[in-house]
Amino acid sequence: MDINNVQELIDNDGIIFLSYGGFLSQELISAMTEALEKEAEVSNISMGMSNNIFVIFIELSQNMMNYSKTIHENDREIDPGGLIVVSKDEDNNYAIHSQNIVSIDDKKSIEPRLNEIKLLNKEEVKARYKELRRSGKNTHEKGGGIGFYEMAKRCDEIEYDFKQINDDKYYFHMKTTVNLKVPKEK
Amino acid sequence: MENLNIKATRYTPEINFDLNGTMSMVGKSYPENTFEFYEPMMIWIKNYFDNDAKETTTINLEITYFNSSSSKLFFDFFDLMEENHEKHNIEINWIYDEENESAEEAGEDFIEDFECLNIKLVTK
Repeated sequence: MDINNVQELIDNDGIIFLSYGGFLSQELISAMTEALEKEAEVSNISMGMSNNIFVIFIELSQNMMNYSKTIHENDREIDPGGLIVVSKDEDNNYAIHSQNIVSIDDKKSIEPRLNEIKLLNKEEVKARYKELRRSGKNTHEKGGGIGFYEMAKRCDEIEYDFKQINDDKYYFHMKTTVNLKVPKEK
Repeated sequence: MENLNIKATRYTPEINFDLNGTMSMVGKSYPENTFEFYEPMMIWIKNYFDNDAKETTTINLEITYFNSSSSKLFFDFFDLMEENHEKHNIEINWIYDEENESAEEAGEDFIEDFECLNIKLVTK
């Protein structure tokens, strides 16, 4: 492999950082969050927007961390195929991309929720989030209970797809975009 | 009962719950296991209201950002305040940087969900 290819990819796609998520740990997640904090500081984006980016990143990476833990506990020989990438375009719009391998059962539980979220506007997402938080349902389970609503609340667009690998396994891709709104004035 | 003091980490807030009736939580919140991390705090505050509560309890919450399981935990915390608000005088300050609109919104959401509680939004 040629490291120049990686550099080229990073330059072309405005990648801030990327990480293999197979061995995500809490320490690694918090170190990456701190790197994002530095990035937000030098990019001069508002505190509200920065916090939205941090929280989405944390939700996604903690989801992936917890997911690979359960795979390990169940002793399923699955490569989590985890990947998490943060990028921005020339206008300082940010995107957080993630990939991991999920089973068909997980797909069945994740997909309807994301389909529902796609149909909701911001106010409806917020109302649903508060409703779920109050009812306490879905909050303890792996793979995002109110987590998806937390992300939806904080972003401008969620895109996702499931790419079939075999009968039981899918690549689960998610891209969350946080657009720059009002530039910070000093 | 003794005061509860927990130092901040890179992903958990500093917690100082004082038997004199002043409680504070300052920092970020995205622990690996949220319910485990906050369990001592939840137990402490229950005991405090049951046995040791002062006439007025002031709770200062200054959380820059937090993940969804912390959000759920804070909801449960407010729920506990709600259970105790008739017997005890509880003042809650939700403190945030004026530029931090997502923290402001989070505070507003808690106010809407807990109308009977005295929650004030306070900018730094």
